[in-house]
Amino acid sequence: MAKPKAYVQKDMCLACGGCISICPQDALLWISSKAEVNTVLCNSCSLCVKTCPIGAITWEGQ
Amino acid sequence: MKYDVVVVGSGPAGSVTARFAAEAGAKVLIIERRAEVGVPVLCGEGIGQKVDAFHVLEGTRWIASKMDGARIFSPNGTKVTLAAEYAGSETGYVVYRDIFDQELARGAVKKGARLMLNTRAVGLLKKNGKIAGVQALHLNKTIDIEADVVVGADGVESRIGKWAGIQTTLKPHDLETCAQYTLANVDGTSPYCDFYLGKQIAPGGYVWVFPKGKDTVNVGIGVLASLSDSGKALRLLDKFIASHAELKSGQPLRLLSGADPVAEPIESIRDHLLLVGDAARHVDPITGGGLMLSIEGGKLAGETIGRAVEQQRFDQQFLSEYETKWKGAFGKKLHRNYVVKETLLDMEDKTLDMLADSLKDYKFEEFSTFSLIKALVTKHPSLLVKLTPLMKLARA
Repeated sequence: MAKPKAYVQKDMCLACGGCISICPQDALLWISSKAEVNTVLCNSCSLCVKTCPIGAITWEGQ
Repeated sequence: MKYDVVVVGSGPAGSVTARFAAEAGAKVLIIERRAEVGVPVLCGEGIGQKVDAFHVLEGTRWIASKMDGARIFSPNGTKVTLAAEYAGSETGYVVYRDIFDQELARGAVKKGARLMLNTRAVGLLKKNGKIAGVQALHLNKTIDIEADVVVGADGVESRIGKWAGIQTTLKPHDLETCAQYTLANVDGTSPYCDFYLGKQIAPGGYVWVFPKGKDTVNVGIGVLASLSDSGKALRLLDKFIASHAELKSGQPLRLLSGADPVAEPIESIRDHLLLVGDAARHVDPITGGGLMLSIEGGKLAGETIGRAVEQQRFDQQFLSEYETKWKGAFGKKLHRNYVVKETLLDMEDKTLDMLADSLKDYKFEEFSTFSLIKALVTKHPSLLVKLTPLMKLARA
């Protein structure tokens, strides 16, 4: 089974851009002033999940 | 649409760049992806009073409170006071960043810059292989903004630099992940900015308490991303507040998150392109503070762009004047402070406690490298070994 991809819970995202600045795959981008994961590019490395100061990034399906 | 300069981002670096470029006669457009300049605030809101010397802010509406100095608390609570009158260091302001940013943008507009909100850059325009502006989404419509110079003032998460081939992705070791509350119903009248260190308090970072006057403070935390896990910054901040009697009664007026580069600066120019502010990593790697450097660097960028427009020279060689100047102004300090950051990160809590114990009675009015080292090692000789990397730096 494919690894789950990172997922931004939009109502928790405070839009600091930390995840975007750190993603080695450039898989995060701004959509309507919140971070969003491009699941095609995400390689499930978990850096953004660990970096989010608020805990707004989890895994798809969780 | 054709401009001399398009500035991507209306934070302090973008607005100050735009101001000085416009003042020099350039036709400037600032684009901002959000619907309001300065909102949401993503910052601790502290800046040195040296900002006055740049004359880019009018009035005092942007000032929340004035600071006389700083207090640093080591992991076991030992307090080192850096009062301005002793340290010879500058005093500071705690600011309202939303008003602060809007005042800087207003200053740019007053000098003739134009400003477009709800406009997100999605790519660089190229003509004959050269950068010739940006493509942007404005209220869901794609527009081409032609310009001879593109300024990336697009923050820690800069895309402009990346699109121009500059390596901008931060390593977890070089990023502080931050959370901050503005708390009401606490004492906000202290004349000191307080900093709390310790691996249990804020791994690879610190907690700050900045009084905003009357009954409000900013209390925030930075945790090094390589030592972070999901939501850790906010959890540790809540824990800190719960364990401090003077903050426990506070109620939050605002919660914000932040991301702060604590890296070495990167390349800041290409043909037809400059990076300023957080996008150029113009942030002090020790404190994570970047407001002053954004203004200082933005002024230099705007002046160089003014000359470039006047002479119609937009090649990297001509624009390198900007890089030479910011390196002269603060490049050495950024490098030195990066090495200090690395040394501090390696220190155990015990070492930080020893350092603080040696410094707590140190009279900063006698400040000299020699007297400081003497004070440090007389009380705790083992500090000599821990501080070797810094001694090397002092001699360099």
